[in-house]
Amino acid sequence: MVMLVVSLFQWWYGDGLRERVKFASVRLESLIDYFSFSLLLKTLFSPYRQISAGKVDGALEVQLRAFADKLFSRVIGAVIRLMIMIVGFVVLIISVMYTLLNIILWLALPALPLIGVWLMLIGWNLSWTM
Amino acid sequence: MDNVAKFNPLSVRAAKARLGVAISKPIILLLTVLTIGLLFGGLAMVVMADIYAGWLVASLCAAPIMILEWHRGELKQPKSNGVSVDEVLAGNILGKIGKNPTPKDLVRAVSASRGGVFFANRFGITSGFLDNITTDKPADLEKIWQSALAVREKSGSEFISGAVLLVAIVDCAEDRDSLLAHMKLENQDLILGIKWYEHTRHLIEKIKRPRRTGGIARDFAFGYIPTLKKFGQNLSENTGGNAHVELEAHSEELDMLIDTFGSGGRQNVALVGPTGIGKTTIVRAFAERLMDAEQKVPSNLKFRQVYMLDSSALISSAPGRGELEGLMNRVLSEAYSARNIIICLDNAQVFFEEGVGSVDLSNILLPIIEGGGLRIILTMDEQRYLQISQQNSSLVNALNRVNVAPADREQTMTIMQDMLLFTEYQHKVTYMYHALAEAYRLSERYIHELEMPGRAFKLLESSASHDNGGLVTGNSVQQAIEKTIGVKVGVASGEEERDTLMNMEDKIHERMINQTRAVQVVSDALRRARSGVRNENRPIGTFLFLGPTGVGKTELSKALGEVYFGGEDRMIRLDMNQYVMPEDVSRLIADGAKDPNSLTAQAMKQPFSVLLLDEIEKAHPQVLTTLLQLLDEGVMRDVNNREISFRDAIVICTSNAGADRIREYIQRGYKLKDFEKQFIDELISSNQFKPEFLNRFDEIVVFRPLNKEELLQVVDLILAGVNKTMQSQKISVNVADDAKSFLVDKGYDPRLGARPMRRVVQRAVENTIAKQMLGGKVNPGTVIEITLDQVKTALNDGEEASD
Repeated sequence: MVMLVVSLFQWWYGDGLRERVKFASVRLESLIDYFSFSLLLKTLFSPYRQISAGKVDGALEVQLRAFADKLFSRVIGAVIRLMIMIVGFVVLIISVMYTLLNIILWLALPALPLIGVWLMLIGWNLSWTM
Repeated sequence: MDNVAKFNPLSVRAAKARLGVAISKPIILLLTVLTIGLLFGGLAMVVMADIYAGWLVASLCAAPIMILEWHRGELKQPKSNGVSVDEVLAGNILGKIGKNPTPKDLVRAVSASRGGVFFANRFGITSGFLDNITTDKPADLEKIWQSALAVREKSGSEFISGAVLLVAIVDCAEDRDSLLAHMKLENQDLILGIKWYEHTRHLIEKIKRPRRTGGIARDFAFGYIPTLKKFGQNLSENTGGNAHVELEAHSEELDMLIDTFGSGGRQNVALVGPTGIGKTTIVRAFAERLMDAEQKVPSNLKFRQVYMLDSSALISSAPGRGELEGLMNRVLSEAYSARNIIICLDNAQVFFEEGVGSVDLSNILLPIIEGGGLRIILTMDEQRYLQISQQNSSLVNALNRVNVAPADREQTMTIMQDMLLFTEYQHKVTYMYHALAEAYRLSERYIHELEMPGRAFKLLESSASHDNGGLVTGNSVQQAIEKTIGVKVGVASGEEERDTLMNMEDKIHERMINQTRAVQVVSDALRRARSGVRNENRPIGTFLFLGPTGVGKTELSKALGEVYFGGEDRMIRLDMNQYVMPEDVSRLIADGAKDPNSLTAQAMKQPFSVLLLDEIEKAHPQVLTTLLQLLDEGVMRDVNNREISFRDAIVICTSNAGADRIREYIQRGYKLKDFEKQFIDELISSNQFKPEFLNRFDEIVVFRPLNKEELLQVVDLILAGVNKTMQSQKISVNVADDAKSFLVDKGYDPRLGARPMRRVVQRAVENTIAKQMLGGKVNPGTVIEITLDQVKTALNDGEEASD
């Protein structure tokens, strides 16, 4: 029995913790993939959906108009990408905080009865009125 | 090994595994409820009643939470820390077998495991079967453990799983070989079964795992493709049933695709290989790999999408002259501008040749392929590739050719196992291992239009409709191919069929007089074939029938067709006097589409036949040389280099060579067996046959001329046939003995043997009956007696009429 309890704690702070961290990192990676951060950064100023991206030959006026169109397409693309990156960044921050809390709770859980005993001894009151 | 094979039931790992099994579903539920109860109960005590002990109560929920997490994370499959049995035995088995297990305890644990259920379904190795071959003596365990370690090593398994242990138990059975033979399995099959089980589990886990495919902004930087979407299928999104096909068989070709497109060279690949070899599957796997963020793919290929153009939709949407070129230009321009598209032209030949359903777009495609601005994959078969290379060498020079090789047996089995995940779900059936093995064996022999693995899988798919209570067995596959070819491929099983085989000689003699030796050797060959003891890499039997005309050579061949294959029409007959020139070889092996009467075309359509090569001595030596492989190995290659099987045919060559010598020997009073060998030597020395040709036959059978008594029996046989025909009119005929003798005299010709007999009997008897019937002298139930005079009159009338 003692051997099993020791095994439980060994696993909890060994493989169990590693598994938790790995699981959290996979979740964060998926999130990063979902918001395509690296792709968005690489293509931040690319024309949006290749609109007006083609090469245009012709008079200076035509070329200037094509340049303006392409610039507009790039600006639109950059704005959309930036917005997605900001939303993604916020979600990512929340997710990182959740992950950290999760790991702290994991580390602290075996000590929870000791905390319970301490709270009981000090008589900490958690009434609605406080 | 001895120490390794020891089982320590008191090890920490064994204790963990037992605890893991003890925490069953109800216990898990109880622990969950306890957690919630402690947490909320404790908090309620503090909040509502100011009882501070509530903190302690609430904090105690940590214990059940930790136990539940430990169970999920480790106890189900405790970590292995060594190589002894208790360290490598799967947790679900280790936890169930107790501290003093017996072989029967192992069987119970194995039968309840997923591996055990898998083998029960796929191989028919049930718990009852395992129980019968094991004892309850703990001393017998060590042998099983040793065997399990060996099986684990052979199969490359991580643990001694239920499947591994099951195979080890079967391996330790005393009469293992006969048991396996009874189940129609070989040693290696069970190891392949373990691999199949583990591979399936791996695939299912992979399917369950979330995939990273580029995210929401993946396509922002790439262009719109409305026309391409209309005329193409996005393989990157539409992996459907082929999702997660591991494609071990074609990994080399897949790597070549990635290398070619990943490097800076010409951005095209032509996948060349026969239909059914898996070219389209390679393209699908390629598309899937590019979409998987976890795969090692060059960054310039990552998340690129593969579109397969629908040629028929394109052609039908642009019926007018020049319209198709315009449409194709639009589609390809979109793909080029989008910058993330790889175009696949499946069966690319339809885009490069004129003809029904095809169109020549070389002018549009060649500059794109040569320029390399747009990535293109083409798939086509070897023959079409060669045709295109003749017509348009610059196109072929611009292509990076990748040959796709056919899959071998093991690869085909693995591919079928991959594909079955979807097929079983679709058809709501379970395939047994025997079905896969049988599909490979039978398709290799009888399906010629496809290459492996496509041909085996096609047969396997069509077997789903022949399931037995949801189970697709080897028998289902046999039924599926029997429906396609229309003949039996299984080993003799029915009582009626066994009776036919045991009494084959009698059945043949029902329509043939004497020639007992010929009938005997042929019957023996057939019995060998249907009982499964023959050499399967040869025809069922190869015979050379020698003898004068009209002694029953062709009749025996027809009788075989009827008795063995179920009909006289089961005969492929070639008159070899039409193959007297060397160039006639090409007619023998011509493509069925051009000459449906060629030998190879007929054998493809009807592999289960009597192949009768009449007057073989007249064929040109080159034709005979072509036939040597057929006689030797039971295969022949047609003009398209396809291997056509004759392994289910009875090959009979007939020859009149030396007929006069046979007559001479018989007239001098020799018996067949006395001069048979000398006669064959004479045929060789007189250069009528080469010894290497004669050596290819299982038996050389000499037919002797029929004597008068036998000819009388022939007359009786013909008359029996006449009576059978008139049975429907309730009329029968009886010919007087002296009339029969007269018919024999008239119907026998020394050169033509008994061949004119049928004509003579028909003329004499049938004409007489016809006259009597028309004269109103015959009523139903009448027995018409025909006398010698009537026969003479009928024959004289006939002769006068012909004069």
